[in-house]
Amino acid sequence: MSTIEVHVPDIGDFESVEIIEVLVAVGDKIAEEDSLITVESDKASMEIPSPASGTVTSIKVAVGDSIAQGTLVLMMDTADSTDAAPAAEPVKDQAPAAEAVKETAPAAASFAGDVDVSADVVVLGSGPGGYTAAFRAADLGKNVILIEKEDVLGGVCLNVGCIPSKALLHVAEVVSEANEFEELGIKYNKPKINTDKLRAHKDGVIGKLTTGLKGMAKQRKVTTIHGFGKFTSANTIEVEAADGSKKTVGFENCIIAAGSSVTKLPFIPWEDERVWDSTDALELHNIPRRLLVVGGGIIGLEMATVYSALGAKVTVVELSPGLIPGADRDLIRPFEKTLKTRYENIYTSTKVTELTPTKKGIVCKFEGTKAPAEDTFDNVLVAIGRSPNGKLIDADKAGVVVNDHGFIPVDTQMRTNVNNIFAIGDVVGQPMLAHKATHEAKIAAEVIDGQKRFFDARVIPSVCYTDPEVAWVGQTEEQLKADGVEYEKGAFPWAASGRALSVGATNGVTKVLYDAKTHRMIGAGIFGKNAGELIAEAALAIEMGAEMDDVAMTIHPHPTLSETLNFATEVAEGTCTDIYMPKKK
Amino acid sequence: MSEMVEVKVPDIGDFDSVEIIEILVAVGDQIAEEDSLITVESDKASMEIPSSHAGTVKEIKVNIGDTIAEGAVVVVVEASAAAAPAPAVEVVEAPKEAAPVEVAKPAPAAIPDIATKPSPTANINPVSFKNAHASPAVRKFARDLGVDLSKLGGTGRNERIVKEDVQAFVKKVMSTGGGSVNGGSALGVEAMPDIDYSQFGEVEIKPLSKINKLTGKFLHRNWVTIPHVTQFDEADITSLEAFRKKSNTEYEKEGVKFTMLVFIMKAVAAGLKKYPRFNASLEPSGENLILKNYFNIGVAVDTPDGLVVPVVRDVDKKSLVEISKELREISVKAREKKLKPSDMQGGSMSISSLGGIGGTNFTPIVNAPEVAILGVSKAEMKPVWNGSEFEPKLMCPLALSYDHRVVDGADGARFITYVSHLLADARRLLL
Repeated sequence: MSTIEVHVPDIGDFESVEIIEVLVAVGDKIAEEDSLITVESDKASMEIPSPASGTVTSIKVAVGDSIAQGTLVLMMDTADSTDAAPAAEPVKDQAPAAEAVKETAPAAASFAGDVDVSADVVVLGSGPGGYTAAFRAADLGKNVILIEKEDVLGGVCLNVGCIPSKALLHVAEVVSEANEFEELGIKYNKPKINTDKLRAHKDGVIGKLTTGLKGMAKQRKVTTIHGFGKFTSANTIEVEAADGSKKTVGFENCIIAAGSSVTKLPFIPWEDERVWDSTDALELHNIPRRLLVVGGGIIGLEMATVYSALGAKVTVVELSPGLIPGADRDLIRPFEKTLKTRYENIYTSTKVTELTPTKKGIVCKFEGTKAPAEDTFDNVLVAIGRSPNGKLIDADKAGVVVNDHGFIPVDTQMRTNVNNIFAIGDVVGQPMLAHKATHEAKIAAEVIDGQKRFFDARVIPSVCYTDPEVAWVGQTEEQLKADGVEYEKGAFPWAASGRALSVGATNGVTKVLYDAKTHRMIGAGIFGKNAGELIAEAALAIEMGAEMDDVAMTIHPHPTLSETLNFATEVAEGTCTDIYMPKKK
Repeated sequence: MSEMVEVKVPDIGDFDSVEIIEILVAVGDQIAEEDSLITVESDKASMEIPSSHAGTVKEIKVNIGDTIAEGAVVVVVEASAAAAPAPAVEVVEAPKEAAPVEVAKPAPAAIPDIATKPSPTANINPVSFKNAHASPAVRKFARDLGVDLSKLGGTGRNERIVKEDVQAFVKKVMSTGGGSVNGGSALGVEAMPDIDYSQFGEVEIKPLSKINKLTGKFLHRNWVTIPHVTQFDEADITSLEAFRKKSNTEYEKEGVKFTMLVFIMKAVAAGLKKYPRFNASLEPSGENLILKNYFNIGVAVDTPDGLVVPVVRDVDKKSLVEISKELREISVKAREKKLKPSDMQGGSMSISSLGGIGGTNFTPIVNAPEVAILGVSKAEMKPVWNGSEFEPKLMCPLALSYDHRVVDGADGARFITYVSHLLADARRLLL
């Protein structure tokens, strides 16, 4: 270990330059060529690099000094093996910062009266939006408390939504495919299904993720409090734990990520165990012989996929004229065609008027042209939608506006009408999707950090993880027609894709929609295997303002399903050679 | 007995659309013809739209924030001349019913906050921003710098906005010294402290009128961005005043009253003809001077809501009688808030006359994009040395403020001397 002097090197023909910034501090460990100071002449500014590696022991210059070649800048110890000592120092540096945070906490306490704990940022709800907001805020140096009403973190998505359903859907896909292999000359025996083991697998997936979250919260020093949080003022939330004990949590800023709950219509006999909501369905209590799924939206159809693959005869009933309202019909028609071969019945434009539990099963009365007057099912899954939890958290006590539907209105920075309270995810509006929530979560956390963030995303993709999948992003053709926007369309049937043929996905279709004037992509829809994975490219294309040629001229790997986006674009352009098209222009 | 009438936006001048900033009536209100229905705002001023019919308001078809144009339906009125007593009862009842509903609602009081909260980038339209041809990374970069992407063109392929375009835009704004964010910080000046004045004694908070706010903004901009010089002079108006009084008696029967301002307007128009640089505007780029071949004079009018500057057109071509009549009409219109935005546009130069009130002199602020303004104070009898003795002369103080980027000091002195010269013997206006 030796001490060396660092001097200003040759800086060109300047007599003297002024120091405008000192970039290192005593104790800093620096590498050779790391910048030490910034100097400025009347022409430009430049940084003076270190000639050696080592630890800074003293600094001989200050901001504002004029220096010239040869001026002593600082002293440093050149040492190669003292890594441990300097490494400890940043930790020391953190300690005062933490104390400073603690000092601000009592100020909030005196404001609110009696606060048990308090933080810079309190996040209400630990779903994908909530934990993302909490972790991002913590990573930005905030002191964070995360409040969760359940015993585990992760919210609906991780525990009773996206993740467990995908664990089961994967199983369903493999079972269905194995079944289809008989046609290819490979016959498997009929699968024996052990629901306990399958449930354990699903719970295992959830467990890994929630444990991971818990660990990450700990690493980030995010305090988690379990209990039902309700506002008591614009700076306090009272949390009631499962055992009835109460805690008052104070905050400078709050992010409401309270999510949504299953919409419960009053005429449904929820007290009967054979009537399920999506959470019950994910529990795999039993595999019914005949299952009625009320609601032909994403959630209902995903669960229908699972139970159908596990052996149940599924009937789907939907109030609107088609399944998955919101997606374009030219994607849904082949989807419905596929489902009709697998499910016992699909009743669209049909209303369920009564569900009566009897010994034989649940008797359901229908109102619709094609449905019978009534039918009996072993189980009924009601999946007619989700309602925001805005009204459950006493938001009014904080002065936060909640609309009649239970949504909390926010501005483009995710701020509610109360300056220090933000809201994200399902509770602020449709679409109720985890990937929307996580995007909003980061905006809220960064705005609290003083960054200029806004929700400037153009599109939010939607995916129905059925077998096969349906995915769409941006404008649908129906919207474009309704808005009178001139567009150009290209659709590519997967029957012309070599890869689709080889993986038995010939029923798929990829559609792209381009603005007729700018030729930029404004929407896309995919029906078929892995549509959810494929739609991401379209989302990126729309955000980047990609034109037809950008997508058409990007070389896609062959043979893949991703090619279909490229082909569909070529169809729109009239340059596709993989299908025969009559001359366009 | 009654008839439903749609009340539409009348001709509001050459504006494609104006924004509604206030709705002055409610459903059930009994209104008279010419009662104001809504207040709209252009970039110049605000004006009230009057009702074309009397009756009871049945339906309001517009909202605050809507942009409307000529022909848009504002309200539906049940036009009934004889049914006055009945609606009168309704009018009393309606607000009574409405009030308790609001009180009963547990909704917190701070509802309008989302809309009114001042955000540093409140002027950026989120939809046009996110649809500007720029990638998410460039959108994020623009947000950091507070740049509205819908306001700049791109240099990338097919006008894609790239990071460099955002940087270039910011550089341009900074170098043109526009003070785009707000005047204070752009000038590097401390912001005004927020003081609780109630600690010194009783205070009252009165919101600024729309006009106050608008003129405040423009005056501030003009004050900090235009290098002003003010040139003073006194015009001998002894003989002109005698002529004015005589003319007033002669024209009394016709209802015409000449004010000194009318003569000054005429003199200023003559001054503009002789010195065309005063009848000009500077291009925002600073590259060109736009010389005008019309002679429209703006006149500052004091109204209860604040200052407005309507413009009298073609002063050079009109007779004093015509100008007098027009000036009177325009002042009445201004006080009744009936001025159209187009009435306040297209001025060559403005005159601010405080002669009727008093004071010896003042420095007016140039009404940009015009480059000069003449301030007129109260005329007074003064002893003037005629070479052998003091003579009593009626002297009118004049103050000419001008944009020094366009007008040189010598020209400023020439212009004001010429105007004084004309006023000293108004017959010169005929020459």
